[in-house]
Amino acid sequence: MRLNPSERLQELEEKFNSLEARLPDSPEKEALSVLHAMFHEERRTRIASGNGASSNGNGKMTLDQVANLYKTAPKMEGAAENTGLAVGTPAPDFTLPDANNQPVSLRDFRGKNVVLVFYPLDWSPACSDQLSLYQSELDAFKKYDAQLIGISVDSIYSHGAWAAVRGITFPLLSDFHPKGWIAELYNVMRRADGFSERALYVIDREGIIRYAHVSPQLHHVPDIYELFRQLEALAQPAPVEGR
Amino acid sequence: MWNMLPQTPTRYRTTLQTPVVVFGTAWCAASQMVRRYLDRLGIPYVYRDMEYDRDAARRVQWWTGGYFSHPIVQVGGDILVEPTLDELQWTLANNGLY
Repeated sequence: MRLNPSERLQELEEKFNSLEARLPDSPEKEALSVLHAMFHEERRTRIASGNGASSNGNGKMTLDQVANLYKTAPKMEGAAENTGLAVGTPAPDFTLPDANNQPVSLRDFRGKNVVLVFYPLDWSPACSDQLSLYQSELDAFKKYDAQLIGISVDSIYSHGAWAAVRGITFPLLSDFHPKGWIAELYNVMRRADGFSERALYVIDREGIIRYAHVSPQLHHVPDIYELFRQLEALAQPAPVEGR
Repeated sequence: MWNMLPQTPTRYRTTLQTPVVVFGTAWCAASQMVRRYLDRLGIPYVYRDMEYDRDAARRVQWWTGGYFSHPIVQVGGDILVEPTLDELQWTLANNGLY
């Protein structure tokens, strides 16, 4: 049976995988693994060049390259130092400026569910992917009648540039001065670092915290499937007592 | 090396109904991005959590020269290490899935 190139590659991959268990750990085995990785990186490079996904040729970075700087930026890691606020408590109100220096208050969204996203810093690893993930899910958040709000200690100017480069359209609020005071209010400020934990609060239409999650590690992005389960639960009618 | 291989031709090809496998972790935003992208497209896939699935983690190490890179998306014979969505889309199309 003649296989097309994709089928042939799949067959070779399966053969490669089946051989792994038969090879003892050795430098030779590691070399084969490295060669496999090199092959797929080379294939990826060819795909990218074929799609024109390269620099703009004038020596300057493209916007995509700027957006992806976080991939080679210094790591941001560390265990959580704060526990956040308890579920069932009223969410503290606040007013902070957005990227256009317009004041935004939590009470502005009373009557809607709110997903409050505390993240450490614009441009940093994990944060970049986290907010892009949420941006790609705006339709799902809309379905749950949920308003996304991002908060970090960055300035309004950083928020503006970062949102433009990454195509983020939901509000990013600047907890810049006094630095981190809203993060303090929500018990997620890492004082020694000068930025917040990575934390989520789901606040219901009456302003009550219904879900709180502080990432156990700074670089851990909350599971969006869990977040959607929480929003789904909010969408269900409350059980009637006595039944 | 070659004489280590079976002397008679062997078909390793399987009849996977879902030739898309995502190797990732629950806390990795890029893994979540890839999974949700496939969800939205309605493309079935198998998800293997590298933190709980030792075989999956071992497989990834075998593919990448020893790294625990994530996400990795296997589409047929293509092994995409931390792909962009553009790369994933191209590969899905190349395998007749997009």
